[in-house]
Amino acid sequence: MTLDWFGISVKTMKCSVMVLTIGALVLLSAVPLVSQAPFSSVYDAGRQVKLQGVVTRIDWVTPSAFFFIDVKDAKGGIANWAIDIGNPLELERDGWKRSALSIGDAVTIEGNPARNASTQAYAKSVALTRTSRRLFAPPARRTAVAAAPAPRWPDGQIRLGPPAGKTGYWGAPSSKVLFDSKAGKIPMNEDGLLSNIADADKVAPFLPWSKALYEYRQRNSLKDDPMARCMPPGGPRQFQTPNGFQFVEQRELGRILVFHGGGNRNWRVIYTDGRPVGTAAEAVPTYYGSSVGRWEKDTLIVESVGYNEKFWLSSGGLPYTDAVQLTERFTRTDVNTLRYEVTVNDPRTYSRAWTGSWTIQWVPDQDIQEYFCEDHADFIR
Amino acid sequence: MRKGALCLVTFIVCLLSVGAGSAQEGHPLTGTWIGYWEPTGGPRNHLTIIMSWDGNKVTGAINPGPDAITLGNVTLDPEKWIVRIGAQRKDSSGKIFGIAAEGQLEDLASPHRKLTGTWLDGTIRGDFRLVRD
Repeated sequence: MTLDWFGISVKTMKCSVMVLTIGALVLLSAVPLVSQAPFSSVYDAGRQVKLQGVVTRIDWVTPSAFFFIDVKDAKGGIANWAIDIGNPLELERDGWKRSALSIGDAVTIEGNPARNASTQAYAKSVALTRTSRRLFAPPARRTAVAAAPAPRWPDGQIRLGPPAGKTGYWGAPSSKVLFDSKAGKIPMNEDGLLSNIADADKVAPFLPWSKALYEYRQRNSLKDDPMARCMPPGGPRQFQTPNGFQFVEQRELGRILVFHGGGNRNWRVIYTDGRPVGTAAEAVPTYYGSSVGRWEKDTLIVESVGYNEKFWLSSGGLPYTDAVQLTERFTRTDVNTLRYEVTVNDPRTYSRAWTGSWTIQWVPDQDIQEYFCEDHADFIR
Repeated sequence: MRKGALCLVTFIVCLLSVGAGSAQEGHPLTGTWIGYWEPTGGPRNHLTIIMSWDGNKVTGAINPGPDAITLGNVTLDPEKWIVRIGAQRKDSSGKIFGIAAEGQLEDLASPHRKLTGTWLDGTIRGDFRLVRD
């Protein structure tokens, strides 16, 4: 017997084999990607590794560049290690190019090994073995260019984008984590992983269930982070991604577009045409919510509702529900500095509204570069 | 002919299942849970439970539809991720039976997290197993 499916004839005797094969392929293709997993979930900062080997492959892709080296072990066997050297956009901004390294180079790397005992490591330094010349090092924090007043439109309103006739975008957030500003300093790493889990209470005014869920995520070293599966950085996290963002103010249309360098180059719309905010129950749930903005002096205040429940509010694993309302305040204090403040109001998750903030630095004379999370998922181990 | 149709249906279900793994990072009980409860040696009874967290309590229904059973007291012990479900149902004669279930929430990070434990319907005791849809 023959089946005709979209013009393809298939013998039914072979059909079950076909179904199993295609089903397996489809299921395999749905395996979550791990290409922008938090550092803490992939690498063990408490262990060090030093490797010497010959470069066999270079993958200069976002969000992390990798090269591969063949490393001889004590018995003469060879293992191929994947070496993560961080975001190539940041490396390039700091003067490093792909051409700094060539296939066949003998290199020495020092760094942190992967948690899962695979042959993968994050390099803190890479040097040519023969000359000891250092090739890559963790990106240095860039010094800000001389501050000038915040640029303004002809009517005097602050411009959130580039000054007239110039280019640039917002990058380099001062913090990649979110916590209640009232808490003061809480020891945690850049991924939001607490140094001491007992500090969880200080991070935000949790309800019992949300505190337990936050601690669960922390204890798992943030390995379940939706961004590790290439999901968009919804909520405040969109302003903490490594590849920055840009405002495009369409004043004649009464809206501001926010283009994200991270989050798979998504964009968000903030309406400034005077429409009401609406309610969470009315909105179609999305990663970036339904946003309405207004200016109060030099600060853009944005009220948002209508978030889906598919992301974390921050890299540390802060939970929320679809009832959350965010109030964001954007203040460009000078040409180079944007102060971002967000108030989280979600009575289903937190016992009171709370506020976190950070600043973001302007990257002058450059454009956001191409970035797609999935790019190097094929070789992550 | 039947075999061919079965193949096609299996294939389509396989394709559709790929898009069904949507994440849910909010309250762990919120959503639709599908499974069964089964008395020892007795017939398996289908369960569809809808749960929603309103900030104070979990509300919802068992087997939504004309014969839906409104959830009574539902509690989540976040220390051990133990869930307790209470409800009351009427039989065809109007007699009221209590329902009490206690289960362990597992695979918390998955959108298809599981809830398994013991189910008491009146005086009949059994096990239940639910998977978040």
